Amino acid sequence: MPTASSLKVLIVDDQHSMRLLIRGGLQQLGFKDFEEASDGEDGLRKLVASPAHLVISDFNMPKLDGLGLLRAIRMHPPTSKMAYIMLTGQADKELVQRAVQFGVNNYLVKPFTVATLKQKIEAVFGPLT
Amino acid sequence: MDPMAAIRDTFFQECEEQLGALETGLLTMEGGDCDPETVNGVFRAVHSVKGGAGAFGLDALVRFAHVFETALDDVRAGRLAPDGRVLGVMLRAADALADLVRVSRDGGATDAERDRLLVEDLKALSGSPQPQAPQPDAVASGSADGGDMDGFAFQPLRFELDAPPAPAEQNWTVRFRPEAGLYAKANEAAVLLRELGRLGSALVTLDASALPSFPDLHPEGAYLSWTIDLATAQPESAIREVFEFVEGDCELDIAPAAGQPPGDTGGIGDIDLAALIQQSQATMAAAPVAPGVGAPRAAEPAPDTGIPNPGRASRPADAATAPASKATIRVDLDRVDGLIDLVGELVINQAMLAQRVSEAGLPRSSNVALGLGDLEQLTREIQDSVMAIRAQPVKSVFQRMPRLVREVSAMTGKPVRLLTEGEGTEVDKTVIEHLADPLTHMIRNAIDHGLERPEDRAAAGKPADGTVRLAARHRSGRIVIEVSDDGGGINRARVRASAVAKGLIAPDAVLSDEETDNLIFLPGFSTAETVSDISGRGVGMDVVKRSIQALGGRIAIASRPGQGSTFTMSLPLTLAVLDGMVVSAGGQTLVTPLTAIIETLQPRTGDVHSLGSGATVIAIRGTFIPLVDVGVALGYRAEPLDPARGITLLIENEGCARAALLVDAIQGQRQVVIKSLEANYRRVPGVAAATILGDGRVALILDVDAIVAASRSAAGQAPEFTPAAGFAHV
Repeated sequence: MPTASSLKVLIVDDQHSMRLLIRGGLQQLGFKDFEEASDGEDGLRKLVASPAHLVISDFNMPKLDGLGLLRAIRMHPPTSKMAYIMLTGQADKELVQRAVQFGVNNYLVKPFTVATLKQKIEAVFGPLT
Repeated sequence: MDPMAAIRDTFFQECEEQLGALETGLLTMEGGDCDPETVNGVFRAVHSVKGGAGAFGLDALVRFAHVFETALDDVRAGRLAPDGRVLGVMLRAADALADLVRVSRDGGATDAERDRLLVEDLKALSGSPQPQAPQPDAVASGSADGGDMDGFAFQPLRFELDAPPAPAEQNWTVRFRPEAGLYAKANEAAVLLRELGRLGSALVTLDASALPSFPDLHPEGAYLSWTIDLATAQPESAIREVFEFVEGDCELDIAPAAGQPPGDTGGIGDIDLAALIQQSQATMAAAPVAPGVGAPRAAEPAPDTGIPNPGRASRPADAATAPASKATIRVDLDRVDGLIDLVGELVINQAMLAQRVSEAGLPRSSNVALGLGDLEQLTREIQDSVMAIRAQPVKSVFQRMPRLVREVSAMTGKPVRLLTEGEGTEVDKTVIEHLADPLTHMIRNAIDHGLERPEDRAAAGKPADGTVRLAARHRSGRIVIEVSDDGGGINRARVRASAVAKGLIAPDAVLSDEETDNLIFLPGFSTAETVSDISGRGVGMDVVKRSIQALGGRIAIASRPGQGSTFTMSLPLTLAVLDGMVVSAGGQTLVTPLTAIIETLQPRTGDVHSLGSGATVIAIRGTFIPLVDVGVALGYRAEPLDPARGITLLIENEGCARAALLVDAIQGQRQVVIKSLEANYRRVPGVAAATILGDGRVALILDVDAIVAASRSAAGQAPEFTPAAGFAHV
């Protein structure tokens, strides 16, 4: 049972407003340690430089999309075991299927509430304390 | 500001960027370039707007964006060919989306009927059944269409919180050059490389530089070598083991990767990062999802990356030298303005200090004077850097023009091609904001008045599509923007007739071609036989000219009959500093914007004439021009100055009208920092702003137009001095 404040989260989204929203939601849940990246490539660079416990990443981004980032993270041994929650614009079954194939830990459909965010994170880590 | 409102603001800012990208992308596609990255960029723009709109509960925006996105998805998936008709609908949809965003931000209403029809059109395009737009409530509660995906076998978390990811992995560089004997013994390099790939993630680079041309190629020779960047947790011995049986038949060099001491388990370098991305993309392409979404395929660990391929050999190097993406930050504009203000103070302070030092009589070679020279240099550099922060490419206003051109083209029935150049040219944000209106008007004019009807163009042997060109460039510390068309040029006979009919010029006035062209800048001038819906909105070129002048700019026109017209605007790069002429009047020091001054001259007594109404005029080269005593106009003295003892500044104000300002003396020309008088005191008629001079005194910057207008109305305007008096040769 991890405490939210002990988990470091990398938020990856090309929209600044979306990153702010996710960050705000996580803060409400007690998270304190964040890093942000504006696309998959940026996210990967940041993860490699400084690992995180959880990656929350958008799917549709320029340069490297969410699936590419997931794939790269899973292929690179130092990052391969990080938890990864993917954000999607709609409940796209096919997309989630592919993400599952590449080892996603959960998904989140935009727009989401803080309660849903909590539920998805807890599905990965167990109840947050 | 409450945090949600701030995020909302950020969202709308991003929307503007997305809408710009959307339009640019669609226009690129219209130009025939439909590569997947462009199409995906277009899709992403709409998708991002929809995603954000959902988060803020902007349902109308979400609904429209959803239909749009679905059609774009069909294009992306190759189900819908992006032909001219499809792109036409999409461009209109992009315009409607922009309107919806604006309405969501500022309130108001869009044309609901148009939006409804567009939705119909978009749905008709895709033809496929529409997936349901996400229902925020349903999704949020985790039920409905979001819920059935919980059945997927999500990756269980195999990660321990106490031990954050830090595997004992090391990067190796393996150089492998087989000799002919290796192949002779039936060994296969590819097998060895594949074997190596099993140890971890390997990036293989082929060196084929030793490969001779075909006639020199020995069939049993060995010409290829490989460099393998290997990330593995296995020891060196495991790598050596791969080459165990070929060790005598090859050159083999195994070393820890450069820049990484053995045993270091830290991060990987840029080259590996690029390689990783490349690998991830490569395997992505190799793992398409079956249309029917069958059983998930087992994720294979990069099966193909170990196989050398000459075509790919150079790519890791390319990726490594590619610049990292530029980091940017968003800063509140007020902060930047605050900084600019402070730097302005610094410039003034520095000037004061310099003046004090020179007054103190210190020699130029003294340490103080030298240090001051350095300070001046630094101050200037800081000022330039700060100005650069506010600078933005004109693209933000240029990219609004294609839509305008489409609309006006549709209204007038004239096919138009818009060419833009120099979109990256940077200028102060405030200048950009004030450019949109004049540019809009000029482009409207260029199409409505400038371009001929298609049939007339055909008769003149021109292509049916008219061309409007919008170009920006820097020239000697200013930005120059040109709007040109390849239409018929200004019809001078008609312009002249119209000006005479409206009483703007005397019927017998002798005007050069240039002067005739400039008549269109006069207030109330319009040559269109009928006031059209497009240009005739009560706004003429005089308003354009006035707004350009308000920015400290100038506008000129060049027209060639049958070949078209070019309007050239020259604007300052910033509104924070001004080139001014420092003058004195009635014991006060004043600054006149340099852009307004045409010439300065010392009048002779005989040139000045008083009119009965109290107005004074001055004859300059045979033209009578109203003379305004600045000292009197601003109330510094009651009695007018004897014109023979002063200096006259010939100025041109709005609408080409000329006037002469009488001042006591000219002190010099210098760049001054503009300080708003309104913000610090209140608005004063006849004064545009204030500045602080090097000696610490405050000097007012004249609002030339206002002074001339005020003195005219005070004196009661004489009928013979119309705004066009400058042209009336007497």
